[in-house]
Amino acid sequence: MRLPKILGAALALTVALALPGCGTGSSASSDTTKKNSAKSSQSSSSDGSVTRAKADLVIWADQKRADALQSIAKQYGKDNGIKVAVQTVATNLDTNFITADAAGNGPDVVVQGDDKIASFVQNGSIVPVQLSSKEKDALVPEYLKAVQDNGQTYGVPYAAEGLILYRNTKLAPDAPATFDDLISTGQQLVSEKKADRVLSLQVGDVGDPFHMQPLYSSFGGYLIGTGSDGKPDTSDIGVDKAGALKFAEKLSQLGEKGSKVFSRSVSSQNSISLFAQGKTPYLVSGSWARADIEKAGIDYAVSTIPGFQGEQQARPFMSVQAFFVAAHGKNKTLAEEFVNNVVPKQSTQEKLYDAEARPPALKSLLEKKAASDDVTKVLSQAAKIGVVRPKVPQLNAVWDPLGKAEAAIVGGADPDSTMSSAAKTIEDALK
Amino acid sequence: MTRTASTTSVRPNKTRPMKIRNGYEVPRGRAWWRHLGWRYIVGVIVIAFMLFPVLYVVSASVNPIGSVASGSLIPKSLTFDYYRQLLSGTRYPFMRWYGNTLLIGLVIALLEVLFSTMAAYAFSRMRWRGRRIGLFTVLLIQMFPQFLSSVALFIIMSEVGKVLPQFGLNTLAGYGLVLLGGTMGNVWLMKGYFDSIPRDIDEAAMIDGAGHFTIFWKILMPLVTPILAVNFLLTFIHVIGEYMLASVFLTDNKVKTLSIGLYGIIEGDQSGNLGLFCAGSILLCIPVVAIFLWLQKYITSGLAAGSVK
Amino acid sequence: MKAVSPKEAQHPRLTLGRTTSVPELVVKIVFLGIVCGFAVSLIPVLIGLKSWTMLAVLCVSVACILIIYTTKRHVPAKYLFPGTFMLVLFVLIPVIYTVAISATNYGDGTRGTQEEAVASIVENSVERQENKPSYTMSVARGTDHGRLVLYLVDEKTGKIYRGTQQGLTPVSRADVTVSDGKVTAVGGQRVLNALEIDKQGDSLSRLSVPVNKDKGIYIHPSGISEAYTGQSRLIYDKAKDTITDRQTGTVYRPRKFGDRYYYADSAGRKVSEQSWLSNVGWDNYTRLFRDESVRGQLFSTFLWTLFFAIFSVFGTFLCGLLIALLFDEPRMAGRKFWRSLMVIPYAVPTFIGFLIWSTFFNKDFGIINQVLGVGIDWFGDPTLAKIAVCTANLWAGIPYMFLISTGALQSLPTDVVEAARIDGAGPFRLFFQIKMPLLLISVAPLLVSSFAFNFNNYNAIALMTKGGPFASSGEIFGGTDILISGIYRMAFGGSGAQFGLAAAVSVILFLITAVLGGIQFGISNKFEDIR
Repeated sequence: MRLPKILGAALALTVALALPGCGTGSSASSDTTKKNSAKSSQSSSSDGSVTRAKADLVIWADQKRADALQSIAKQYGKDNGIKVAVQTVATNLDTNFITADAAGNGPDVVVQGDDKIASFVQNGSIVPVQLSSKEKDALVPEYLKAVQDNGQTYGVPYAAEGLILYRNTKLAPDAPATFDDLISTGQQLVSEKKADRVLSLQVGDVGDPFHMQPLYSSFGGYLIGTGSDGKPDTSDIGVDKAGALKFAEKLSQLGEKGSKVFSRSVSSQNSISLFAQGKTPYLVSGSWARADIEKAGIDYAVSTIPGFQGEQQARPFMSVQAFFVAAHGKNKTLAEEFVNNVVPKQSTQEKLYDAEARPPALKSLLEKKAASDDVTKVLSQAAKIGVVRPKVPQLNAVWDPLGKAEAAIVGGADPDSTMSSAAKTIEDALK
Repeated sequence: MTRTASTTSVRPNKTRPMKIRNGYEVPRGRAWWRHLGWRYIVGVIVIAFMLFPVLYVVSASVNPIGSVASGSLIPKSLTFDYYRQLLSGTRYPFMRWYGNTLLIGLVIALLEVLFSTMAAYAFSRMRWRGRRIGLFTVLLIQMFPQFLSSVALFIIMSEVGKVLPQFGLNTLAGYGLVLLGGTMGNVWLMKGYFDSIPRDIDEAAMIDGAGHFTIFWKILMPLVTPILAVNFLLTFIHVIGEYMLASVFLTDNKVKTLSIGLYGIIEGDQSGNLGLFCAGSILLCIPVVAIFLWLQKYITSGLAAGSVK
Repeated sequence: MKAVSPKEAQHPRLTLGRTTSVPELVVKIVFLGIVCGFAVSLIPVLIGLKSWTMLAVLCVSVACILIIYTTKRHVPAKYLFPGTFMLVLFVLIPVIYTVAISATNYGDGTRGTQEEAVASIVENSVERQENKPSYTMSVARGTDHGRLVLYLVDEKTGKIYRGTQQGLTPVSRADVTVSDGKVTAVGGQRVLNALEIDKQGDSLSRLSVPVNKDKGIYIHPSGISEAYTGQSRLIYDKAKDTITDRQTGTVYRPRKFGDRYYYADSAGRKVSEQSWLSNVGWDNYTRLFRDESVRGQLFSTFLWTLFFAIFSVFGTFLCGLLIALLFDEPRMAGRKFWRSLMVIPYAVPTFIGFLIWSTFFNKDFGIINQVLGVGIDWFGDPTLAKIAVCTANLWAGIPYMFLISTGALQSLPTDVVEAARIDGAGPFRLFFQIKMPLLLISVAPLLVSSFAFNFNNYNAIALMTKGGPFASSGEIFGGTDILISGIYRMAFGGSGAQFGLAAAVSVILFLITAVLGGIQFGISNKFEDIR
C-alpha cells in the first residue's frame, strides 16, 4: 500500500528537519506571555530588515521627518548602547499608528502634528509627558500650549507652522497692509495682463477651511467656541454666527460670480505651481511652498497675512509638530527618555531645523534662526498669533461641512443660507 | 505557406516582390487602405487618447515644480534631477525598493498564476459536489468591499509574526502571503478559457493513459498560454501598484516596494510637487512593458498550439 | 512494461504514464516532509505563546495537506487547496471579522474594553507637582525576590532615598556611590543600565512610591533616569463604577451618548472622550435607513451607482474589444509596439491617473476647456461631473479589457475560425456569429466581477471628485457619490472613524452586489450551457 510508505518517509524527514527546529522553538517559548513585554528573544529575520526584535526603540514618522531623524536616532543609540530604528508608514500614519498600538505592535515614539492629539487621546494611544518646569520654560509658550490638553502635556514640540503670505516681489514689491490692498494691487496687475489671477489660495471642489481660516478669523469667525471652563464647547458652533456670516458675504463678493479673486479651480494641486510660474503675485501657503518657489527662481518675500480693512487681525491656524510617547509601545521607558530628554535638546532641534526650516520650539534657537532667516521669522510671527485647533474629535464634524459651504459660496451660492444649513448639518451630526 | 487575399493575376508591370508579414501577404494600393491603412489611422487616434495622460506624468517627472496640474504640457525648464535621485539612491534606497518591487511582483504573479490555473482546472474539468456553489462563492467573496480588511489582516499577521518573524509584519514574505489571498480572483479568468477547450482532447489523452496531472501540465497548460500570459501580466501590474496593504505591512525602508516608498514621500508633503512620484511611476512602467514584450510570444502562440488533434 | 499501442507510437508526447514515477514520488515526500517538520517545530512555540487559535489553524491545515496529498483520492482538492487556503486565511477571515465588527460600535474611542479605558483615563490624569521634589533616578534589583528598587537623589537638596512600593526611606551616603548626581552603585544590589531598565518597563511603570496615599501623591519614574512627584487627579471606585475628580469633587458615571458610553457628570459633561467597545446589535444596519438625509438620497444614489457600474463594464469591454480587434490583423506592422503602448496606461498608478483626469476637467486650467475654448464648470454641475467620472473610469479600465480580449482572441480555437473563413464568411459574420459567442463564454464571468468591482469603486470617485458637487453641506451623497463613497465618508468623517458602521455598510453593499452578481451569473450560465 502506498499510504504507509509515503507517510513513513515523510515522518523520517520530519524528524530530521524538526531537530534543528527544536532549538529555536524552545528559546522562543520561554518568552513571557504578556503581549506588551514580549521581547528580543525571538529569532531575528535573516533578510537584514530591522524587525521589532532587533531595535530597542522604534520611531514612526513620515518620510520627510524620518530622514532628519536618522542621524539623531543613531547618535542617541550610540550614546546609550541601544539600537534605534526610524520607520515610515507611507500612508495614514495616524490611523495606522492607532491600529498598531492597540494591537501591541506599534512603535514606541510617533511624530505627528498637534491636530492628531484629540484622536490619539480618544483612542488611548498616547500618554502624557512629564516635563519639568525648567524644560517647559525653555520652550516657546504658544507651542507648548498647543500640545496641552486638559491640563496635561501630551507631546514635546519641535517645530511650528502657520500660513503666511508669499509675494512675487517683481510684481508686488511691497507687503500689503490690509487684505483689501492685496486685492486692489492684484486686480491692477491682472488688468495690466502682468498676472493671470489676483491670488493663489487653494479652495478646490470641497473647500479648504485650513487655508480660509485667516480670512475667516479676520471677520471674527470661529469654529468651536470656548466654554467658561476654558474647554471647547461643542454646543457653540461659530459657523452661523455674526462673524462667519460677515465673512461669507465678503467671500461671495470675491468669488467666481464676483471679482473672481477666489475660485474653485485653484486647489492644492496647482495653487503653489501657479505662483511658482509667476502667474499670480500672491500666494497663501505654509513652509512647504518654499522649496518649489525657490526652485522656480521667483524673487519672493514673505509677510503675515493681513486682515481686512476695519476688521480684526487675520489669524491662521497654528500647528505644531511634536514627538509623542505611545501608550502600548514595548519600550516605554526608553521612549519617555528619548522624548523628554533628547527632543528638547538644542542639537536635536537644530538638526530638525536643517532638514526643514520651520520655527523651532526651543526659545533660544528660535531667536537665532528667526534673525537669520526671513521665512522662519514670519512663520514664527504667524504661529504666535495663530489659533490652535480645538482638541476635540468633534472638530471633524465641523471641518467638512464648513469646507463644502465655503466652496459653494465661492461658486456663487447664497452666503447666508449656505452657512446656516452648514451649521445645521454640524449640529445634527453632533447631537 | 503564404496566403493571398486574391488570386494572382499576371501583370507585366508588377516587378515589386511580394511583402510577407507573419505568414500573410501584405496587400498594396487600395487593398492596403481597405485592410490596413485605416487600422493605422484609428490606432494612432486610440493610442493618443490612451497615452495622453501618461504624457502629463512624463512632463511632471522632468518639471522642477513637478505639478501635474499646471496646465501646460511642456515644462518651462527641464530637470532630470528626479530620475537622478531615483537611480543614484542618494536620499532613499530607491534601487532597493525597485528590486523589492520586481521580486515580489514576479514571485507573486508566478504563484498566483500557478494556483489559480490549478483551481480553474479543477473547476472546469472535474465534476464534484459543491462545484457550482464553490465557483459562485469564490466570485462572491471577491465582491466583498475589502476596506476594513487591513485592520483584520494586521492583527492576523502580527500574531503570525510572533511565531514566525520571517513572515510577520514588516517582511516581504508576509506581505507576499497576504497578496496571495487574491489568487482565487483569477480563477474566473482561467476557467473560462479552459471551458473553451473541447473535452475531446482530455479524453484522447486519458485513453492514452495520461493521469490528471499530465493532462493539466503537459496538455492543457500549453493550450492556454495566451491567457496565462495575460493573467501573469495583470497580476504583476496589480502587485507592483498595490499600496493600501503595503502601507500597513511595510514600514521599514529596506523592505518597502517602490509604490509605497513613493507614496510615503508625497504623503507628508503638501506642496503638490509630484515630480519624484511621477518619475518613479515611469520607471515602473519599464518592467511592465518589458514583461509584456516577453510575453507577446506566448500570447500569439495560441495559433500554433491549437493543433493537437 | 506496457506494450506500446499504435497511438503511443504516433504521439509519444501523450504517453507519460501515471503520476507515480520516481522523481514525482521524491518530490511528494520532500514536500510532505517539509510540511510536517515545519508544523512540528512550530507546535511547542505556539503552546508556549498560548496562541490557541493559531495552533488550531496550523493543525487543521497540516491535517488537510496530509489527507489531500498522500492519497490518490480527493483529486479536485489537490488542485484547489493552495488557492483556497490563501483565500480562507487572507480574505475569508477578514470578511468574518468585518461582519463581527458590524454588530459593535468599534471605532475611534471604542477600541478597547471598559477596564482599559478607565485605566487610561486615570493614568492620564497624573499631574506633576511642581512644588514637590523631583529626583534623579537609578533602578536596582533589590534583595527581596529581585524586586525593583529605586534610588532617588533629590535634585534640589541632593538627599538620597530608597523608594519601593512601601514608601520612601532615606539612605545614607555611605551605603551608595554617587557620581554626577546619580546613584551608580549600591552594596549588595545590582544597578541596571538603560537597556535593562527598558526591559523591566512594565514592572517599572507599576512601581510608584507612595508619599501620601490619601491624597494620591506618589513618586513616578519617568524615562530611565528621572522621577517626579505626581498626584493622580482622578480616582476610580471599582465598586461604585465611578470616577471622581479629587480637586473638584465631581463624580462621573457611565452614561450613554448615542451608541457608546462615556463617563460623564450629571450635567452631561464627559470626563474624557475615551469610550469602550460595546455591542449594538442591528443598530449600525438600521442607521442608514433611520437617518433622514441618507434615506432620501439612497435610491437615487443606488441608481447612479448601478449606471456607473454598467456603463464602466460595457464601455470598457466594448472599447477594449474593438481595439483588440483593431490590432488583431496579422498583416499589420509593429503590432507588438501598438499593444505595448496600450499596456502603459494600466501600469500608471490609479492615483495619478485619476488625478490627471481631474485636472483635465478643471474649469479654468483644464485641457478640455482650453481646447474647446469654453469655461464649462465640469465639477460644479452634477451631470457634467458624472460624465467626467465616467470618462476617466473608461480610460482606466480599457487596457484591462483590451488585454483580456487580446488573449481571448488568440485563444479562440483556430480550426473553427479557419473553417468559417474557408466557407467564405465575411469579416462581420465571422465576428458576430463565430468569434463573439466563443469570446463571451470565457469573458462573461470577468464582466460580472468587473461589475462588482465598479459598483464599489471607491477610488474612482474619491480621487476624481471626492463625491462632489455638493448642493448643500447637508447632503450625505454628492453629485458623483456612489453608495460606497458616500457611506464610507459618513462612517469615517464625523467624530472619528466608526468601523462598526462601515462594516455594516460593507455587508449591505456586499449583499446588493451579490444579488446583482448572482442574476448576471445566472444569465451567463445559460451561455455555458448553450455551448
